[in-house]
Amino acid sequence: MGIDGAYPLLFVIWLVPLAGAIVNWAFGPQLKRSATIIGSAAIGIPFVATLMAWNAATQSSGAAVGAHQNLFSWMPGFDFGLLLDPLSLIWALIITGVGFLIHAYSVGYMWSDSAIARFFAYMNFFVFAMLTLVLSDNFVGLLVGWGLVGLASYFLIGFWFFKPVAVAAARKAFVINVVGDVAIMFAIFMMFAKIGSITFANVFAHVGALDGWLFWTCLFLFIGAAAKSAQIPLHTWLPDAMEGPTPVSALIHAATMVTAGVYLVARCWPLWNASHSAQLLVGTIGGLTALAGALLGIAQWDIKRILAYSTMSQIGYMIMGVGVGAYQAGVAHFFTHAFFKACLFLGAGIVIHELADEQDIRRMGGMRSRAPVAFFAMFAAVLAISGFPGFAGFFSKDQVVFGALEHGHPWLYAVGIVTAGITAYYMFRLFFVTFFGTYRGDVDPEHEPARGESHAPAWIMALPVAILGIFSVIAGYAMIGSNPPWSRLFAHTFPSENLPPVAIGEGWTTAILFVVMAAGIAIAYARYATPVALANAPARLRLESERMPAVLVRLFYFDDVIDWLFVKPSLALGRFFGSWFDPDFIDGAVRGLVTLSTELAAVVRYFQNGLLRSYALIVVFGAACFAIYYALQGTVR
Amino acid sequence: MRPDLLPVALANYVGLASVIFFIGVAGVVVRRNPLIMLMSIELMWNAANLLFLAFARAWLNNAGHIFAFLVITVAAAEAAIGLAIVVVVFRSRANVDVDEVALMKG
Repeated sequence: MGIDGAYPLLFVIWLVPLAGAIVNWAFGPQLKRSATIIGSAAIGIPFVATLMAWNAATQSSGAAVGAHQNLFSWMPGFDFGLLLDPLSLIWALIITGVGFLIHAYSVGYMWSDSAIARFFAYMNFFVFAMLTLVLSDNFVGLLVGWGLVGLASYFLIGFWFFKPVAVAAARKAFVINVVGDVAIMFAIFMMFAKIGSITFANVFAHVGALDGWLFWTCLFLFIGAAAKSAQIPLHTWLPDAMEGPTPVSALIHAATMVTAGVYLVARCWPLWNASHSAQLLVGTIGGLTALAGALLGIAQWDIKRILAYSTMSQIGYMIMGVGVGAYQAGVAHFFTHAFFKACLFLGAGIVIHELADEQDIRRMGGMRSRAPVAFFAMFAAVLAISGFPGFAGFFSKDQVVFGALEHGHPWLYAVGIVTAGITAYYMFRLFFVTFFGTYRGDVDPEHEPARGESHAPAWIMALPVAILGIFSVIAGYAMIGSNPPWSRLFAHTFPSENLPPVAIGEGWTTAILFVVMAAGIAIAYARYATPVALANAPARLRLESERMPAVLVRLFYFDDVIDWLFVKPSLALGRFFGSWFDPDFIDGAVRGLVTLSTELAAVVRYFQNGLLRSYALIVVFGAACFAIYYALQGTVR
Repeated sequence: MRPDLLPVALANYVGLASVIFFIGVAGVVVRRNPLIMLMSIELMWNAANLLFLAFARAWLNNAGHIFAFLVITVAAAEAAIGLAIVVVVFRSRANVDVDEVALMKG
């Protein structure tokens, strides 16, 4: 380690959000809207502290990099500590930096909600949990953070607990996430059984000791990653999670929590590098998820659900990147995605706010003039997610797609290119339908939102969106050049490899991606933004929604299959136990015992007739029996 | 055995005690008046006492005498408790027929 044993600044990064959560939780009713100041400061301070820790986190001595702080040792093999190395540094910066912007935005978005202090308490708690996840230097600490972010996600999806659909979504997200938590637990069991330690450093130094269990360890770790990062087939909770407030979707279900799976795979690269079949599995699942998410994004009309499927698709890219072994590329895509996706969600939040909680893009249109900040910021972000040259997503997506080819997965390369085209199409579809043409809804432009009379100043929501829009442009410039800052940052984190040259060079890949993306944008333009299309927009959109293929509307039947495979059998089992096993078998056994003793008692009760004289007679009879017995014995002797 | 210590044969004592004992048993089983029943129990105690004394004299063993005192003590205690119960029952029901006092019927 660069700094081994003691780096107390890590405590500031780690615990200040928890303190904010506790204060907001305990004194919420008294704090009311001042909770926003405490809540935002509790994220801003760790962000500054993380920046201050930059040098410590990136310095290296020998093979190891980063700053380390011991916490305690529970028992031999169970040493807990905090670790800030380039990988966790990038995550911590996004969590606290983007997190701070989203907290500031929430001040405006949640201003008229009466439970604003509870909201900020949950948000701070989430940041604390996420920092626990990425700062832990061991698998158990990671799993604790892993579970806590799931809990925070549950709290925040179900934040508006008076909406039954939100509660159902929260429950679904929690259940699927717990499937992943349990899988990671099994992976830890296997690692501890074979290696006898839970710290990253020890486990990765003895990967060979896992021998036959290596693939299974990777598989279980990846089930956890897939559940958290909405990878097929455990992705169905993510679109439903959009029932939470929009800042929650931006922070948890776009920028940070759902990328925890990417972090896990990137963190455990020594395991994946040692198992080719695990790499193939993760890369394939990532590619499939990217494609499926993009296809499903085409069929959605709810602005947040489109963004949810695009998140799923982009995380598919990241997982594909880290899965095939292009760790730097996958992490780079996480980095740029955090900015442009948070920007998209927050911009969508401004639109939704403007239209009194309308989320259906068929009832939007012409928002360019009504929400200009959202328009420009989201334009930059849409270009970034499509991979337009010069914007952030361009650099990272290029790396991921090219990385798949470089590491010998031409099929994933093809999937990545096709997905890039579809991504450009459905993102520009959202953009054109929302912002161009004329307004198709019925919310009066001069309306006063009914939810509350007072308003936070408008700039408090516009500014974070604008900043994120700017970063959607510039974030990719860290990855330009032959030895870019990004590669220098991770020089000692990930293995350097000399890969054989491939048939299609990086320049050609960029060209192919650009053509495919341009085609996607052109189709979207032809369908939604030509003067003819805009003039007939309501009729055309209605026709499109009627003609949407059933397979896309039913989301590739994933929910139906899960329903059929797990939910229905569980319900049937429950009914079996509820209607037969419990009342007839378990209760039946108890009732049978009762009947038996009653019957027995009915016989015995004749002896207890309350008549003193009959008792006396019984005593006499007993005594007589004894007398006769001894008399007979006497004669025998 | 020293026969001169027993003016009457031992068998006579045993016979008398048996007769008294079975009179007591019959009294307890047959009569419904609790006072009579208590008296019958006294009879059984005394039959036992008679046997204790007879065998003590016959076998020159003083343990029998001592046991007789014990039996008298226990009998006195039993009579006291029994009479107390009879009084309480009589107060609450104005009737002391033991067949009527059958609250503990199962």
